[in-house]
Amino acid sequence: MDILISGVGGQGTILASKILANGAVTDGSKRARTGETIGMSQRGGCVVSHVRTSDTYSPYIPAGGADLLLSFELCEGARNLPMLKKGGTAVINTAKINPVTVSLGASVYDEEKITEYIKSNCKAYFLDADRLAKKCGSLKAVNVLLVGTAFGLGLLDISKTSLYAAIKNNVKPEFYKMNIKAFECGENYALTLKG
Amino acid sequence: MKQVLLGNAAIALGAVTAGVKVVSGYPGTPSTEVLQTVAQNNINKKIYVEWSANEKAALEVAAGASYCGARSMVTMKQVGLNVASDPLMSLAIVGIKGGMVVLVADDPGPISSQTEQDTRHFGEFANIPVLDPSSPEEAYEMAVYAFDLSERLGLPVILRPTTKVCHASGTVDVIDTVYEYEPEGFVKDPGWVIFPPLSYRRHLEIERQQPEISYEFDNISFNLIRGTGKKGIACGGVTYAIVSDVLNELNVPENDVMLLKIGAVFPAPSGLYEKFLKSVEKALVLEELDPVIETGLFHTLALKRMTTPVSGKLDGTVTPAGELKFDNLKKYICDFLGMTINEKNSIKSMELPARPPVLCAGCPHRASFYAVKRAMKGRKHVSCGDIGCYTLGNAKPLEMTDTCLCMGAGITIAQGIKRIDAETDVFAFIGDSTFFASGMTGVANAVYNNSNINIVILDNSTTAMTGHQPHPGTGKTMMQTESPKIDIGAVIKALNVGFTTRVNPFDLDAAAEAVKEAADYEGVSVIIFEAPCIAVAKPEKAVTIDGCTGCMRCIKEIGCPAMHTDNGRVSVDDALCYGCGLCIGICPGKKIRRGDSC
Repeated sequence: MDILISGVGGQGTILASKILANGAVTDGSKRARTGETIGMSQRGGCVVSHVRTSDTYSPYIPAGGADLLLSFELCEGARNLPMLKKGGTAVINTAKINPVTVSLGASVYDEEKITEYIKSNCKAYFLDADRLAKKCGSLKAVNVLLVGTAFGLGLLDISKTSLYAAIKNNVKPEFYKMNIKAFECGENYALTLKG
Repeated sequence: MKQVLLGNAAIALGAVTAGVKVVSGYPGTPSTEVLQTVAQNNINKKIYVEWSANEKAALEVAAGASYCGARSMVTMKQVGLNVASDPLMSLAIVGIKGGMVVLVADDPGPISSQTEQDTRHFGEFANIPVLDPSSPEEAYEMAVYAFDLSERLGLPVILRPTTKVCHASGTVDVIDTVYEYEPEGFVKDPGWVIFPPLSYRRHLEIERQQPEISYEFDNISFNLIRGTGKKGIACGGVTYAIVSDVLNELNVPENDVMLLKIGAVFPAPSGLYEKFLKSVEKALVLEELDPVIETGLFHTLALKRMTTPVSGKLDGTVTPAGELKFDNLKKYICDFLGMTINEKNSIKSMELPARPPVLCAGCPHRASFYAVKRAMKGRKHVSCGDIGCYTLGNAKPLEMTDTCLCMGAGITIAQGIKRIDAETDVFAFIGDSTFFASGMTGVANAVYNNSNINIVILDNSTTAMTGHQPHPGTGKTMMQTESPKIDIGAVIKALNVGFTTRVNPFDLDAAAEAVKEAADYEGVSVIIFEAPCIAVAKPEKAVTIDGCTGCMRCIKEIGCPAMHTDNGRVSVDDALCYGCGLCIGICPGKKIRRGDSC
């Protein structure tokens, strides 16, 4: 399975990709690969993480090849939509992070147009994951919350036990409980999205 | 044990497996995590790990340890090797004793670098072997092998991953045992002292070794031929992995294409090249950066008087610059095999607002740049930048970086500009880590030559851009010990700079006043802007805005990413605002105030 995670530098896409890759390997995948954005883009620029759990050579998903797009930010979801294969699914955080180019008036962030574009091109689920993550204790948990949502929607071929084990191995012990709460919150919210 | 590991972590654990005893380096994307992972896996502190002051220092530290019979590794990014090339070129002649790996990460794109230079050339330049992994898994195996190869040859070995191996993760089978040995210590020998006659003798010896290494590379598992077709594709690095995926997607049968995969790239495996070129009727070379494998194939063609047509970068078939991504490679391969590309019914992209990286909300560099900009209003000035987060000072609305070349260049470029453009106030901005890496020489040059420039040291108490590494000014080491902090102000004083002042850039009036004084001073002046990076400082409560009149002055002046406009009024994103308060001094209506302290 090929999963593309998109967002803004600082949102924690790398942790989400680690959890998915480690979860897949614990489940018995022969191998999992990820490709990360580390460097200057982490300062509030566009970031993507590629996660591949099937037997490929390269960690990088070709354009039009992703089964699932997990976007931590609305505009970044739209930016990476062409990475999704026809018939693929997108899970999109509707919370906006305005690029400075927008505040300075050099470009326009048209939420309605962006949402319409995503809806008309794929099967998409939208949720305000920022709001839900804050309710769980921290905006930082938005990454794990969205993984929980994708899991709740039945979009991941990884078991819950393995995902929990991966969360445990990749977050500081003091944040484990909060992250599990966020995962469950995302998973439960998926039920309302399915409905 | 199987672990999902970042390529850089795989290299680090490979070095640990191979019994590395000293690891030194200077941070630089995409290489940084190698040294950090060694430090994180340093059980009982058996390995000595340091961030060195710069790459030259790092390479020399690793060389000294190797002279004593210890296995050592030095890590850096590709432009770091330019700094370390002086010791490397001589070390290649003198040779080493304990296996020594020079880990240099290249950055095709470039994604986070000044240049796209290809480190494989350095192998050829210095006559030392180069290994080029195609995946994190292979990077692990190569790291283990590189120490053994280096020790057998008595030469340093370059391990050269690229960004898409460094920052990809794979499922690596990590060997649990560590190679155990006791280094002999330094044994005096004239061979350690480089002199012209020694260099001559060693040069002959090293040239004699090259065919032996080349033969080893003909038969090593990192180099292989797959498939049996009459059309050949040669590739190396991550391109091999992507080419394999393209061939799978195109359902090309194994007997249609012969694939030559090169991981041990220098000295060129000429026996394998000959076998490949004899087997195919034509060949295409796909490799990122420079045509190194391709040139190697042409050498073999010329020496063996063969005429197999080879296309790639040299005949213009393949783009000379940038990454080779799946779609480019698919096009090249389809053209080469005479296949038509079935256009996928893909999702069309839409126009979206650009999102360039920016200085973080609360970043002290924003305040420093703004202070200089405000103080110099109405005066002709030039801002020479340097390498670090503060290169982002070039973006609107600050636009305070007019030049940027390489580490430490800002201070010296400024001197050259001032020699010609005498009427302009010339500023050089440099970060604290960069100052220790290569800024001090530039200050000495300025003082000695009576330059009239203004040096702005942005001291945020960390190496921010690469992920907050300690440096000589922080008093922290990678061995979790304390060391005496080197005070930048004291260094500046010792260099006999005529005007020095320290100021907190968030104290905007004082900061701008200091800048004016410095600019008016005839001679070298230094302003040290002291305020910690937000990643190492505790945030204050977010500012609040009451009764915004919508003049937009705050946004237009400083472009803080925590400030947004809603219906013509400015609002602050509490989750992003660090409460630095820079905007407070800018609002003409005094509508912004500090939040209560946390």
